[in-house]
Amino acid sequence: MAPSVPSKRVLPSKESGLFKELLNLYESRQLKKGQKTADQILKKFPEHGETLCMKGLILTHMGRREEGIELVKKGVRLDLTSHIAWHVFGLIQKGEKNYEEALKSYTQALRFDKENMNILRDAAHLQTQLRLFDGLVETRHTLLKLRPNLRQNWIGLAVAYHLNGSLKDAKQVLEHYESTLKNIPDYDVEHSEVLLYHIRLLEELGEYPKALGLLDVNAKSRAIIDRTAIMEFRARLLSKLGDHDEAENTWQALIEQNPDSYEYYKGFFSNRGIDLENVTGDARQKALQYLRDFSSQLPRAAAPRRLALDVADGDDFKTLAEPYLTSGLDKGIPSLFADIKALYRDVGKQRAIASIVEALRERLASQSSSPPSESESPTTYLWTLYFLAQHYSHTADHKHALTLLDEALEHTPTLPELLMYRARVLKRLGDPFGAARSMDEARVLDLQDRFLNTKCAKYRLRAGLEEEAQELFGLFTKKDASSPGADLEDMQSLLYLTEDADSHRRNGAFGLALKKFHAIQKVFNEIEDDQYDFHGYSLRRFTLNIYLDLIPWEDHLRSHASYIHSAISASQIYVQIHDDPAAASKASSSNNLTEAEKKAKKKAKKAAQKVQEDSKKATTQSTSTNEDKGLDLTPAKDDDPTGTKLLEHATALDRAWKLLSPLVSLAQENIDVQIAIYDVAVRRSKLLEAAKALRYAKSLDAEHPELHIRLIDFHKRVSSLPQVPPAPIGSVINAALAELLPEEVSLETFNSQYLQRHSTSGKAVLASANVLHKLGTPIAEVESAAFGALNPEVSLSIQTAVDILAFLQSIGSSRADEFRTTCNAKYELSTVFKLPSELAELRRVAFVVTEEDKTKQEEAS
Amino acid sequence: MNIRPARIDDLMGMQACNLQNLPENYTMRYYLYHALTWPQLSYVAEDHKGRIVGYILAKMEEDVGADDEPHGHVTSISVLRSYRRLGLAKRLMVQSQEAMATIYRASYVSLHVRKSNRAALSLYKDTLGFTVRDIEKKYYADGEDAYAMRLSLKHLAR
Repeated sequence: MAPSVPSKRVLPSKESGLFKELLNLYESRQLKKGQKTADQILKKFPEHGETLCMKGLILTHMGRREEGIELVKKGVRLDLTSHIAWHVFGLIQKGEKNYEEALKSYTQALRFDKENMNILRDAAHLQTQLRLFDGLVETRHTLLKLRPNLRQNWIGLAVAYHLNGSLKDAKQVLEHYESTLKNIPDYDVEHSEVLLYHIRLLEELGEYPKALGLLDVNAKSRAIIDRTAIMEFRARLLSKLGDHDEAENTWQALIEQNPDSYEYYKGFFSNRGIDLENVTGDARQKALQYLRDFSSQLPRAAAPRRLALDVADGDDFKTLAEPYLTSGLDKGIPSLFADIKALYRDVGKQRAIASIVEALRERLASQSSSPPSESESPTTYLWTLYFLAQHYSHTADHKHALTLLDEALEHTPTLPELLMYRARVLKRLGDPFGAARSMDEARVLDLQDRFLNTKCAKYRLRAGLEEEAQELFGLFTKKDASSPGADLEDMQSLLYLTEDADSHRRNGAFGLALKKFHAIQKVFNEIEDDQYDFHGYSLRRFTLNIYLDLIPWEDHLRSHASYIHSAISASQIYVQIHDDPAAASKASSSNNLTEAEKKAKKKAKKAAQKVQEDSKKATTQSTSTNEDKGLDLTPAKDDDPTGTKLLEHATALDRAWKLLSPLVSLAQENIDVQIAIYDVAVRRSKLLEAAKALRYAKSLDAEHPELHIRLIDFHKRVSSLPQVPPAPIGSVINAALAELLPEEVSLETFNSQYLQRHSTSGKAVLASANVLHKLGTPIAEVESAAFGALNPEVSLSIQTAVDILAFLQSIGSSRADEFRTTCNAKYELSTVFKLPSELAELRRVAFVVTEEDKTKQEEAS
Repeated sequence: MNIRPARIDDLMGMQACNLQNLPENYTMRYYLYHALTWPQLSYVAEDHKGRIVGYILAKMEEDVGADDEPHGHVTSISVLRSYRRLGLAKRLMVQSQEAMATIYRASYVSLHVRKSNRAALSLYKDTLGFTVRDIEKKYYADGEDAYAMRLSLKHLAR
């Protein structure tokens, strides 16, 4: 029995006709006319729910969102059993990216119109977005039952089964589908993709003979037209089936097709029982012979020559390395060192490489007075010096690297690569200003190159030169953007956002730093939302194979290094604010604004004005035009340009936890993540979560200095609880403590034992000094422990020295300045231990002054 | 460097590489659109650590006029400065062209380049064999003209 239509929905025939027209006008996005038609109906029937909803929907499209949503809500209330009303409500919620609520509305809509194809399809997309795969299978089943003649409905069901982990069901659906197909045109890319998907399914199910059979039949008939895919499947399947000769032919064909694909070589060798990553014994000569053959067959391919360097050892290695290096230097390949650096894991190979290139340098140096011989390009000497500079810097002999670079620069002052590398060495030596200047010198040699520009701006940020970096970025960003940074943020530049956030953090502008870290989170949210449209699109285009890679990739999106860095860094700031609210107020008090913050405020004011003007224009226009603004919620204007609201103390830990929580499952193996989780969890009194993070961290690296500090911290916090937490938490916590810390020794002893085990590690020295402080040791003892890092046998990186200095300052040590001056002398080329008063002068020399600049300055004065 | 078809998990590396090298940039959505429409046409070059050092982002032209033939289009191609002189751009282009011709029966491939970008022009012309077909006035958002370039793929037809 069909549900009866409620009387309040029934319209007289004239209005009923108008309503149908309204639906059509909306479908064709004739918004203005649609609005008028809706008003015509509403004049007589102001409480007609479906019309109210349609009008609301149209207004939302026209950019009058708030007004529109009010109408939609009212319409739904007035007609709770209308599928149109619920559908419209669902569309609005989807536009707000509120997928869960949208799905609820769609489910309501389907209660009143079970067979509405549009609603079913949208519901399927929402179920996919929300990873509700049981429901998805059901929806796809319904769609197929309703329209079995639509090809994509079959594929949709197969994909749903696949996503739900039922590969066998997916296979059955495909088999059924293929048996019903008739008259497939030649060269049908879509059909080819479906067949490849079928073969992939069979491979994943381990049905190799069947997979190979299906592949061969359809490759021969040219139903599958992707040659690369055919060969890749074929080679892999034959290898798995043990048909090694036939497999070898196919791997060989793949290599001929793309002689620089490492995967193909790997496949070729593994088919012959050789693991290219780990060649030993007899296999070595065999593998080398194959690679020699490939090199002569494929004279232009780089991969076989490079792979031979991995495989060879002893004299073989020297024989192969010499021509490889010499030819790279002759051709002036800038990446030569980066290319062979991985070989340095083998000390013998490292020595061999150094002696080959040193010998070449000596030979070339002795010739440099005479004209260069025919065979050697005059720049070979230059590239040899460049290579050796990288070699020595890599082996921590930075000064020698600088000497070599200076010699090369004297020879040729106009090669940007030399200056870029010089910048890198200076950075390693702790001189960010000299590094920025050197990078600037490289940049001005080729002003059209964005790569040099980006590098230089990054180096300026590393030196804390915020504004000067923005100026550079602006040379290549869109001119109509409200600022260079805004364009880079729109374009989702993680490099920019990360470097800018880090720079603000180092400068103490916590609000701005947090804003940029949250902007990174926003980029990841956007990419997560991006997949939505492809749930339907990929079925229409039959690009199933890549779509099935898209879904798990989206699920792991936030394991990306930039996300992890932003989540950890922001959480560290939040923890700092939580522990010391003064840190936040120091950072946010208006008379203490950094230059960058002042600028950000000004910029935001300008941008806000522009937004206001635009929206004014928009409202006046939207009443007269048909412009469709879509349903997606556009971000509101930025009312917190300096990030002051993010500094709010009371909610800091909640914000930190929100950033970190995806990493609990996505980045378990990262000890820095576990430490950050501990820091936030323990302060939110989530003791079980905190204990779990520490246990996990211990399983990753029991001796990690940051973990050492947390072990003590945890013990102290738990033992200072006013009462034992209620069962079962209390006993679990006590068990965890017993597992994490030995019960029989005191914390003091535990700490001194740790230091003894790692007495030559600067980080361990800092960790143990930190613990001493936590244990209430007199400050003089803490200081002398920290100063232990300066003992000659301790390996102390510049960064750790900077951290120790910051630690001493944070505990109010009177010896902090003594530490600073000692470091300033110890790292003679560094500038990071200079006094603030000395920095002004250093900042000035961080740029190249061009002739143009000079004229400008003269004109100004 | 390893040359291979681009996968979904390469797209962010391609985007980062593009942002470092070129003034024409795109959001991830546009990369996804390419990958999920023509999954066989884009290629990447990666270093030993798996970092993307070069890429070609390519598509088929969707609006083919009645008197035109199906053809491919290079949306973006670039190689990090520090990985130049290895012939990576050429290697990437050759792989993509092969796929355009065999899978989509493209008879030629087109691309646009800024009139002022002499380095890129010489790469396309001298190294990759493209010829200038046309000048498109004010093709770029900032008002600069573009050379519309083409390379025949007839020799790859099967």
